[in-house]
Amino acid sequence: MFDSALSDVRVIDMTRVWAGPLGARIFADFGAHVIRVSDPRTAEQGLSLIDRELNRNKPNLAVRLDTEEGREIFLDLVAITDVVVENFRPRVMPNLNLGYETLSEVNPGIVLCSMSGFGATGPYSNYPSLGTAAEAQSGIVSMLGYPGEPPLPTGLAYADPLSGLNMAAAVMNAITHKRETGLGQFIDHSLSDSPVSVLGEYFLARSVNGGQPRPAGNRFKEDTPSRAYAASGEDEWVAVSVTSDSEWRALRRAMGDPESLDRPEYATPNGRRQHEDAIDAAVEDWMRDRDPREAMERLQEAGVPAGLVAKNHQVLSDPHLGARDFFVELEEPKFGPRRYQGNPIPGNSLDKRHWSPTSEIGQDSESVLTDLLGYDNDRVERLISENIVGVHAPSD
Amino acid sequence: MTALPLRGLTVVEVAQGVAGPHCGRMLAAFGADVVKVELPPDGDWSRREGPFLTDDRGPESSALFLYNNTGKKSVLLDWRTTEGMARLSALTASADVLIEDWTLPLREELDLATDAFTVPNPGLVELCVTPFGLSGPYARWNSSPMVQLALGGYMYLIGEEDREPLTLPGRQADYLTALTGYAAVQFALWERGRTGNGRFLELTMMETVATLHQYTYVMHTYEGLVRTRNGHRWERQGPFATYPNVILPCADGQLCWGLAMEWQWDLLCAMMGREDLQKDPRFDTRQKRRANAEAIDDIILEWSKDRPRAPLFAESAGDWGLVTAPVLDLGEVLDDPQYRHRGMFQRLDHPSAPAAAYPSFPFHSSLGTPELSRAPLLGEHTDAVLA
Repeated sequence: MFDSALSDVRVIDMTRVWAGPLGARIFADFGAHVIRVSDPRTAEQGLSLIDRELNRNKPNLAVRLDTEEGREIFLDLVAITDVVVENFRPRVMPNLNLGYETLSEVNPGIVLCSMSGFGATGPYSNYPSLGTAAEAQSGIVSMLGYPGEPPLPTGLAYADPLSGLNMAAAVMNAITHKRETGLGQFIDHSLSDSPVSVLGEYFLARSVNGGQPRPAGNRFKEDTPSRAYAASGEDEWVAVSVTSDSEWRALRRAMGDPESLDRPEYATPNGRRQHEDAIDAAVEDWMRDRDPREAMERLQEAGVPAGLVAKNHQVLSDPHLGARDFFVELEEPKFGPRRYQGNPIPGNSLDKRHWSPTSEIGQDSESVLTDLLGYDNDRVERLISENIVGVHAPSD
Repeated sequence: MTALPLRGLTVVEVAQGVAGPHCGRMLAAFGADVVKVELPPDGDWSRREGPFLTDDRGPESSALFLYNNTGKKSVLLDWRTTEGMARLSALTASADVLIEDWTLPLREELDLATDAFTVPNPGLVELCVTPFGLSGPYARWNSSPMVQLALGGYMYLIGEEDREPLTLPGRQADYLTALTGYAAVQFALWERGRTGNGRFLELTMMETVATLHQYTYVMHTYEGLVRTRNGHRWERQGPFATYPNVILPCADGQLCWGLAMEWQWDLLCAMMGREDLQKDPRFDTRQKRRANAEAIDDIILEWSKDRPRAPLFAESAGDWGLVTAPVLDLGEVLDDPQYRHRGMFQRLDHPSAPAAAYPSFPFHSSLGTPELSRAPLLGEHTDAVLA
């Protein structure tokens, strides 16, 4: 099965929030042995729902890295691990005496991927960051918003998903190199860099002719219409893009060839752009009282790119994603079955039956120490009683 | 760069645009030999899409093409003909990776089975990137960058409440899919190293976007809430509310305040000399701070509105350790000292297009960072590769 593609890879995931846990989750979905290392002192507040969305298939070891024995446990784990991922500020791992040099002394093949806000060196390297601030820094926010108005954030902390994917890419490069040479490496990933690399065409243009795209709503190139139109129901919208003359003819056909759109000057992209307001008004009228899903299907069947602007529950119940078995139901011990997103690699052929929900903090500490590291029971009990290692105590 | 882990790998790229080619660009940068197969007479459609670097809008002047095709060879080959398909099959017979974007309708038209290339070459990793995939009710649908983000659940979250939802700039679903595809190909190559067998990987843009959500789904499955859009502020509902997480004006621009962590509120109050607010019952939880966002905005603006952005950023992020960042435009990113320090942009010459600044990679290895090389001219390597 492809979902055991990485069954010979071991990863330590020390990351928090979104980008790091997402990247490590991709490895876990593909059968890598990902151990999540948490601070036992965070057990009191418990896992957030964000944690539950992003940390399936990862056993959890709770250990105090600021104690000498806790540090030794961590290094014992590093000795049998391929990859360590962390997203602290750059000074934190060296302060714990767990910098790359220290880890590579224990395991010369180790890959340490650091996912800081701005990178490990440079004038801002010790500034903290998060996905929201990093996207502002990267330029993407300056291009987003309603025409003529101030820029808007994505609302997604967009630097995070990009960084999770980039981490997976960088780590695969590194372990591929290690498989051939035996040598590990330090990877210095910057959250603020990630959105820059998905705006490449705009940076090339800016560097040559000074072009700065300003917030333009849903306008894209010369495409007209290119908008989301309100449909019937509360806050229901359908996105419609006409990217060619043939799609324009298809749109007219799907709308029943209204007279208002039967004008020769609308036949070209340039003409449609010049008469954007009139065209928008006609599509708005047509869409307003329609069921959004029916409108989308009617437009698509005619050959017009259209999609309902899906709310969370509409994505969760989308018939296409359902037919392709995209989602996964995980049995949450505390909450019962819950539906989560699957993994887009490789489409619909992933066997998700053995996936497990997010481990509570310290839930797997004992099994990691005894089964994986071979510690004897007395030692494990002492580490727990001295609060160096945390275990999960079910509250109910 | 001393380590190019994909050296020796042969990649054939038939895909056009961004989702497939940006993945090919990554493979090329990290050492693979990537042959880009372009359809005559005009080649990859992205050569005819903007933004353009010169006014003539010629096939070698599209920034979209130039950026996403660095380090590749270009071969003109019409795989829509029987003879062309035979030559493509010959190329893939000895390749390690094939990147294509053949949709279900096109596969039917070409009578092309999904195992047409992996049966003759069982070690081949074939990445098929399409908007909706080869099965399911949307498999024959058309798409656009906005439609992908609409159906994948992003667009509803962007923009202001009670106004039209917004798409992201550029071609974000394509780039997200390209990065996912790069991981997918490497997973398959890793597995092949153990088993000797390749894979047919069907990757869709809709599923890629639908995967990359932080708390969108748990908000519904645990809290019964519809996740909404919040304009220039961060989330306001349920346990996900947090503040100040907002973009606000300052004397010469905009600053993002990204203070998602509880302890940062006390620090912010101290920085502004407003320790009195630390105990203010209006603001003593994340949820209450979010509910009183306007009052917090007024307090911050009173302190910040007449100060320039650069010293505000240095003081808040540098001196106080608060999560803030300037809202930079593209020119400011190109000039920014941190991006310069990291070598985020590499300047590349090109025989037909102006020299330009190309983004490199968001990650650097202690073993080095690849140097980009320019995109190929249309058909530049046809004779050398097909001879």
